[in-house]
Amino acid sequence: MAGERVLVIGSGPAGLSATKELRNLGVDVVLVERESYLGGTPKKLKYSLLFPELRPASEVLDPLIKGVESSGVKTYMESIVEGVKDEGKGFTVSIKDKSGKITNEKVNAIIAASGFEHFDSRRKYEYGYGIIPNIYQISDIERMLSENKLVTTKGVPPKRVAILLCVGSRDATVGNTYCSRVCCAVSTKQAMEIKERVPDAVVHIYYMDIRTYGLMEDKLYWKSQLEYRVGYIRGRISEFMRGPNDTVIIKGEDTMNLNRALVVPYDMVILANGMELGLGSKQVAKALGLELEEHGFVKPIDPDRLPVQSTKKGIFLAGAITGPKTISDSITEGYAAAMKAYEYVTKGVWDESDFAKKRVEVAHH
Amino acid sequence: MAQAKSILQLPDDPRFLDMAYDVQGAVPEEERNLLSNLSPQDRETAIKFWQAVKSDFRYNEYLRGCLNCGVCTSGCPAAKFYDFGPREMIQYMMRDEVDKIWEFTNKKVWACVQCYTCSMRCPFNNEIAGLIMLLREYSVQFALPSAKEILAPYRRVLYTVLTMGNQVTPDMIQPDSFPDWGPQAVEESKNMDVYRKAIPVDLMQRTDIGWHPSLQTAVEMMTIMIESGVMDSLRGVDKDLYDMIMDIYEDRKSQLEEIKEKWQKGELDENELPDSWLDL
Repeated sequence: MAGERVLVIGSGPAGLSATKELRNLGVDVVLVERESYLGGTPKKLKYSLLFPELRPASEVLDPLIKGVESSGVKTYMESIVEGVKDEGKGFTVSIKDKSGKITNEKVNAIIAASGFEHFDSRRKYEYGYGIIPNIYQISDIERMLSENKLVTTKGVPPKRVAILLCVGSRDATVGNTYCSRVCCAVSTKQAMEIKERVPDAVVHIYYMDIRTYGLMEDKLYWKSQLEYRVGYIRGRISEFMRGPNDTVIIKGEDTMNLNRALVVPYDMVILANGMELGLGSKQVAKALGLELEEHGFVKPIDPDRLPVQSTKKGIFLAGAITGPKTISDSITEGYAAAMKAYEYVTKGVWDESDFAKKRVEVAHH
Repeated sequence: MAQAKSILQLPDDPRFLDMAYDVQGAVPEEERNLLSNLSPQDRETAIKFWQAVKSDFRYNEYLRGCLNCGVCTSGCPAAKFYDFGPREMIQYMMRDEVDKIWEFTNKKVWACVQCYTCSMRCPFNNEIAGLIMLLREYSVQFALPSAKEILAPYRRVLYTVLTMGNQVTPDMIQPDSFPDWGPQAVEESKNMDVYRKAIPVDLMQRTDIGWHPSLQTAVEMMTIMIESGVMDSLRGVDKDLYDMIMDIYEDRKSQLEEIKEKWQKGELDENELPDSWLDL
């Protein structure tokens, strides 16, 4: 079993966990990363605490990064996968670095873990993100929180904060009709972090449904109300206006009542922008020749039974490339993909599924 | 003698009624409306009205679903000034609440300004302003009192549109309707007849019409209005206007036929015709 090599694309939580696991199994790994550091989006956007355990992101990611760095993985930083040639039993991958130099690598299997990108809220132009001061995205706030610089444009901590959920998710006007899964939990966590820093701040979350699913219900949703007095207002804000003194005026409807319009000023507004596949992963999908499913994410061969296997033989998927995922889910998928890839390169195991062809017949009464 | 009440008769409360229809002799939920204050005739019309709207071919395309997010109502300029909200309507429609839809149609549906902001922003891609237009169309077809009331001030516009294809004529634009006019505009409006005569375009030399369609065009337009059912809708809402327009239509049609007949026989002397066929 000597000489087996696996290419891992992306060094986020999923890519790192897959790499680490493959190294433990004694497989050679080639790791390709677009940025100049390991850690993926959580490191790029400097995530603060992770839900639901409310521990710093570095506590989760740094052991993974250290483990990969010390395991002797051949790493291509600031590089992308330019193209893949299928050679029956393996692939020849051309990797392009920043200067345009192309290196060819022979590998037996590929794990695509290039992840997601946050939705760009400028696409919802009526929200005025990037135009009106003091409107931020959750991805901006994470950095502010981790650097302990939570201030408005006036340089003072905000006293009134509104968080709007479902920006770029569950919205047919931007073409994203899926739920991004993590934004409710992230926003609730951020509301608690804000209250921790500014205890007398008023924090309102504008929601349609709160989806802090599973064990997060009381760890986040209940806790935020019990211990931090975060307010939850049911309704989606339709537009923002610039108010006096750099405040932001929101326009919404309190949908718990009928026809009750809300026009309320806030010092700071946070848009809980969702997850999309992003250009990086689209390029990966194109280079590897992977199929996309109807929401624009990469399609696994069978979403229930084989979630980490792609539709192309020898290519495995892990993390948010197949849909919105939490960091812990991505790490789990990294392990799963590593195991599948190991089986494939050592014993040639490749499960088939006729999921795509099957149609469920129902009796019409 | 009053009929003896069954011992199982429970208060008219939805919680009780929902428990056992057969025991109580209650009708299923879809067939009753616990909050109904409508008279039996009104309720019958309301049900017919709602069924007509629902069976329109546009209804299922326009109404897709509702997340109850309130984006439509919060962006709505009419909701700012009236007790009106598109979300309210969508909710009634999705629950088949006939009474509520009836009330909404009679009291609120006319508050919409058809700006289509709700349709554009709806995350579920509902065609909300289109649904409002559907309610309005059918309330005209059903000749509802609110439709009559709301269309009454537009009689003159309806008249000019249906007879000549003009919406507004110059003599309809008068200072009393426009208190914000300055002195110059008021002065100019006084001698509109003279000013219009100076325009070297035949079509625009009168003040009782905006532009001057030919006799044949006018008759063809009115024929289209009759054949497409617009006049039928008008008959219910405004019988007098309907009669007036139909009289005008008959007149013009016979005039046109007369002129055509003369022309075919070669008896038409064009010098004898007036400048405008409206003076015939």
